[in-house]
Order: sequence, then C-alpha cells, then structure tokens
Amino acid sequence: MKKKVGIYICQCGPNIADNVDIDKIIESVSAFNDADDLEIVAKPYGLLCSGEGKDYLKQEIEENGLTHLVIGACSPRDHNNTFIGVCKETSLNPYLYKLINIREHCAWIIHDKDKATEKAIQYIRGGLRRVLYQSELFENKLDTNPDVLVIGGGIAGIEAALSLADADRQVFLIEKTDRLGGKAATFKTVLPKQQDAVEAIQLKIQTVQDHPHIQVMLNTRLDRIIGFLGNFEAEVRSIDDAEKMTELKIGAMVVASGFSLYDASTHPDFIFSGDDEVYTALQIEQMIAEKNQVTTRSGKAPKSVAMIHCVGREEVGYCSQICCNAMIKLAARFKTQSPDTTVKVFFRDLCLPHQDDQAFYNEIKAQGVEFVRVNRIATEGSQIKFTTMDENEGSELFDMVVLAPAMIPADGTPDLATKLGISLHETGFFQEAHQAINPVATATDGIFIVGTAHGPRGIQATLLQAQAAASKIRVQLIPGEQIVPEVRVSETLEAFCMGCKTCLEVCHYGAIVFDEDKGISVVKEAVCRGCGNCVGSCPSGAIQLKHFTNPQLYQEMIEAVQ
Amino acid sequence: MDKPNQNEFKPKIVGFLCNWCTYAAADLAGSSKMEIDSALTVIRVMCSSRVDPNLILTIYFNGADGILIAGCHPGDCHYGKGNYFTRRRYAQMKQVFETLNLDPGRLQLSWISAAEGNRYAEVVNAFTEKITALGPNPINQSSLF
Repeated sequence: MKKKVGIYICQCGPNIADNVDIDKIIESVSAFNDADDLEIVAKPYGLLCSGEGKDYLKQEIEENGLTHLVIGACSPRDHNNTFIGVCKETSLNPYLYKLINIREHCAWIIHDKDKATEKAIQYIRGGLRRVLYQSELFENKLDTNPDVLVIGGGIAGIEAALSLADADRQVFLIEKTDRLGGKAATFKTVLPKQQDAVEAIQLKIQTVQDHPHIQVMLNTRLDRIIGFLGNFEAEVRSIDDAEKMTELKIGAMVVASGFSLYDASTHPDFIFSGDDEVYTALQIEQMIAEKNQVTTRSGKAPKSVAMIHCVGREEVGYCSQICCNAMIKLAARFKTQSPDTTVKVFFRDLCLPHQDDQAFYNEIKAQGVEFVRVNRIATEGSQIKFTTMDENEGSELFDMVVLAPAMIPADGTPDLATKLGISLHETGFFQEAHQAINPVATATDGIFIVGTAHGPRGIQATLLQAQAAASKIRVQLIPGEQIVPEVRVSETLEAFCMGCKTCLEVCHYGAIVFDEDKGISVVKEAVCRGCGNCVGSCPSGAIQLKHFTNPQLYQEMIEAVQ
Repeated sequence: MDKPNQNEFKPKIVGFLCNWCTYAAADLAGSSKMEIDSALTVIRVMCSSRVDPNLILTIYFNGADGILIAGCHPGDCHYGKGNYFTRRRYAQMKQVFETLNLDPGRLQLSWISAAEGNRYAEVVNAFTEKITALGPNPINQSSLF
C-alpha cells in the first residue's frame, strides 16, 4: 500500500519560525515524494497545539487520508500527549505519529539560522524514516477493582482507611496485633502543643470499627499477593489459626506497618537490666497514659531524672527526627508532675524541625530543665557517666533514666517487602518510588507506603502521607472506570529467547515471568513500565520495547551520520 | 602546529538521552537559549538502560564520530536502578571497544539531571570539542577497508 505521510511544521509563534527556515524544511522533505511508494504532504502551521491547530490537524489527517504523521514542533515532554490525543480523535493510530523536537534541539540552541535549519531538516528526515518503521499499537482497557487493602492498624493505616472509606471505597484493614491504634494510641498527649491525644485517637478507632466500608481484621497478616494496579489478589491469614485464610480482591494497597525501636540493651555503653530504673521514652508515654503519673518500680515519684537522646543513632546511621521533641515533652511532664524534680537532658545534637518546636524548647529550658551537651555518654543502671563537648567528665546517679532509642524498621519488614515485591531503603525502611517527586508511591503501581514504615517521622507527617496515598488511590482507581495500561511495553520474541532469565533479574517491577513449559521469559504487559532495561540486558536480542525498537531507533540514528 | 582538515571536520555525534533527566535538561538548556554545537543528534529513550550494545556498535560502524549516553544521576533513576545497569554496560562497552581496537574515547557516559540545563550544554559542547580534536571516526576513512 502506498504510504502517505503528513509532515507539519509548527511555527510556535516566533519561537521556531524566527530561528529556522521552515520553507526550506518543507522543500527538503518534499523531495522524498516517490510516485510508487510514498507521498509526502508537508505544510507549515502557526501554532499546532492551539485549539485551531488541533482541529486543523484532525482535518488534514482525514482529508488527506494520512497513513503516518510527523510533527516538527516542541519537546515531546510538552506536547506529545496533545498530539496523541489529536490522533485518537481520527482514524490514524497514534503510534504511527512522531513528534520531532526542532525547538529545543534546533531553534533555541543553534544560534546560526542556516545551521539550525540544516539540523532541523536532518531531525525531520530522521522522524520521517522512523515513523515509517513504527507499528500500530492498541490500548487494552482493563476493568478495575477500587477496593483497598491497608496493612497495619496504627494511626497511618487508620487515617488511610478512613480517607478511602469516606469516599465509599471498601477497605480491608489488617493488623497483626489484637488492637487498633498502634503506638500512637498509647500516648497521653501529642506534639506540637501537647494536645490531649487519647480521646482523638480513640474516636478515630471507634469510627473505623463502626464504618460500613471498613472491614477490620485483627491478628492477621499478609500471606501473598499477585496482580497489578486495579487487579490484585491478596491472601491474608489469621496469626492464631493458620488454617484461617481469607482471599481478598483489591485494586491497591497501603503499607502502614509502622516501626520498632532500637534495643538499647544491645549497646555496649548502656548496661541495664529489667530491674533497673531505666526506661524508653515510649514506656514512659505508656505509663502516663495508663495511670497519669510517672513512678519508679517501687511506686515513688522520681526526684531526679536523666534523659538521654540519640541512643543507637550512630549505629543505625540516621536521625530519628521526632525523639528530641518527644523527650522535651516528657521533660515538661516531669516538671508538671513535680516542679522540684531535677531533670537533666543529655544530648549531642538537637533536632527541632517544626515551627513550634523552638518556642517549646525555650519554655522548657526556662522551667529549669537542664540541657547538657555531651560527646560521649554511658550508663550502668541509673548511674550516668558522660564527657561534655569541652571534655569535662561527669558521673551522676539518678532516680530514673529515660532513653530515646532510634526508630528502626518494624519486625518483619524484609519479609513483607518480599511478599509485596517492593524494595527497601539501605536503612531497612520501605523505599519510595522517588524521594523528591513521588514520595508515597513505590516502584510497583498500586502499592503505597505511609507513616513510619517509610522512615522516622511524627504523627502529623504520618497523617499527611496517609491522606496523600488515599488521594492517589482515589484518583487512580475510579469505580466503574477502566484503566489503560502503558502500551509502549516490552515483549519477548519467543523464537530468540534462550531462557537465561537475565531479564527477570534486571526488571525493577517484576514484570517478567518465566514460562517453565516453554522455557522462555514472558512480559506481563500490565506491570511493565516500558523503561527498556530488559532490552539492554538481553544477550540474544529476544526482547523488544514497543515503539522504541532497534529498527525504529536505527532509522533515527542513521540520519544523524549521513 | 599543523592540523590538516581540522577546520573542515564537523563531527557527527549521536546522543542517547533518557526521557526523565537528560532530555529534560536539554529542554531546559533550550528554553534558556544556551548555545549548543549542532554536531549532536539527540535520540530520546525512556531510560538510559534501554541503550543496548547493539545500538552503540551499529551506529559506530555506521560512522558516528562520537556516542554520548546520558541519564539520571545514580540514585535518581525514574525506573529505580536503570542507570546502574547503564553504568555497568558502559564499562563493558569500553572494554569491547578496546578489544576491537576502537577508540573508547569516542564513547561517553554522563549523568545530567533535569535541573542541569547548564551542565547539559557544557557536556555536549565539551564532548563535541573532544571528538573534533580526535578527528573523524577511522571507519569513515575508506583506506582502512
């Protein structure tokens, strides 16, 4: 069949028109007209991305019966999707179109107009050659399930569940312990202003339990998942009764599995046993919440308290962000309980990130809490030995010692990561898709990480993340709407695959599986993101990335060396 | 110093840019109207890890004077770890070039983030200068064959 390629050069106002000679481009590409095989329709236009421009293109495609389309205009990062949208409203398959960037790659960077024109001609010719090698691709719409599985019933999981259930999503909330609320539910007050937290958190827990769209499953853990965004199947199992397995169909997952604390007793500088008056900050929080006062094991109020920050920070290699404030909050609490209590805070660095923190610290200091900056500190029971920053040594005995151990990944995090097929950060917390631009998503579409499962943070940041993940899910999975997976994905060429499984190793998304019967790799198209890493890895050339095949790229490249 | 044909030689360089970082840097360099040598032809790939050794050797043997691969900085890959694979494959390609007695200096890998329009211009211009100084790809001198 004779091919008819439309080549439209956008003037982009003066942006392209002033810096390259569009008429020359038209003249040059028109020379490709070949009576037998190829007809070229080449025209300039003012602004193709405008409403009029798009209508003009649609009309041109239909009236000329174009089989292929090349647009010489701006960066595909600006308007590739615009013109794909135009094609979709015509009879032309959008993957038989190619946008060539003669603005950023020619008009704007090559300051000599003749040279810029020459380069633009070369790019357009490359685009023409490439588009003739492109293939039609067809989008495959999939039904989706808008239900969500939330893993972890702490405040992160609770918040995510409520944000989704309030938008009429069915939520399954699994929790490995026998109660909801996590660690935060054991706090009497929360920062930044020591608001009473018990009531607020209990109210949220009650709302979750009563919610018609939330099914709470306590003493339950995740066994396995399969699937992809919109279509996951999860098996969850009762921890008490291994026979009791439930299968859930969901569209997305929120991982809110929380944190654990660094075990200070394993640190050589902190020697204590269960009989000593040594507590973690969390134990003090729980004591306050339970009986509204802090006492020693013998039931007396402590007259002197040492508070030691950053226990295990050097060992884990990061700052846990919230302990300084939590410790200052507890120091204040000791002073409220009995103003003549001696409270000494031993710290190395103070981390006061919230805008209210500095004022709170100043206030507590004014109340007589003493802050001692130390270089080294060790304990033997409640006897403290320390070296200050100016190398003075000290030794003091206290009635009570409170430690702020580092936050570490929750027990079972690596196992959960394996089941979910998502990565861990070098610190052992779950790894986000992109630290700066996609912080609650993971590399697997449809799996989100929120709260301290993602790293140390406070309640406020945890709730923000939970709400963010819930919003992302609400946007990605709309009840009754289908999703369109990426079509520019990899495919294996059965005849060439030797079954070496190299591609399975390099795929970041677990999108390639091995067909044991045939002995070849197979791409799960709905999971593939189309990066092409497997193509680069395949030793037998058995994988190609649709729309970025070697023959297509070859056509572009070869024009560059003519 | 005599450098015959130095002024007339205009290198042909092929640059594989990843869509998310370096291609975006090229866009930024463009919108900042930085002056960039026209020797480089940009080939957009979604990830630098898409650039398989076949493409590099194919374009080299078809006469490219220089080949640039550029992507996100290590740790910044849009697809998680693609650029680490690129780095490994690049190191292997350098060895392949040496084994085949080709000049590995004609092959370059650079990390250029989306924010580094300036750096993109510098890298391309410096690489163009380097390749200009190296002279034409010997493949193009028919006397070799």
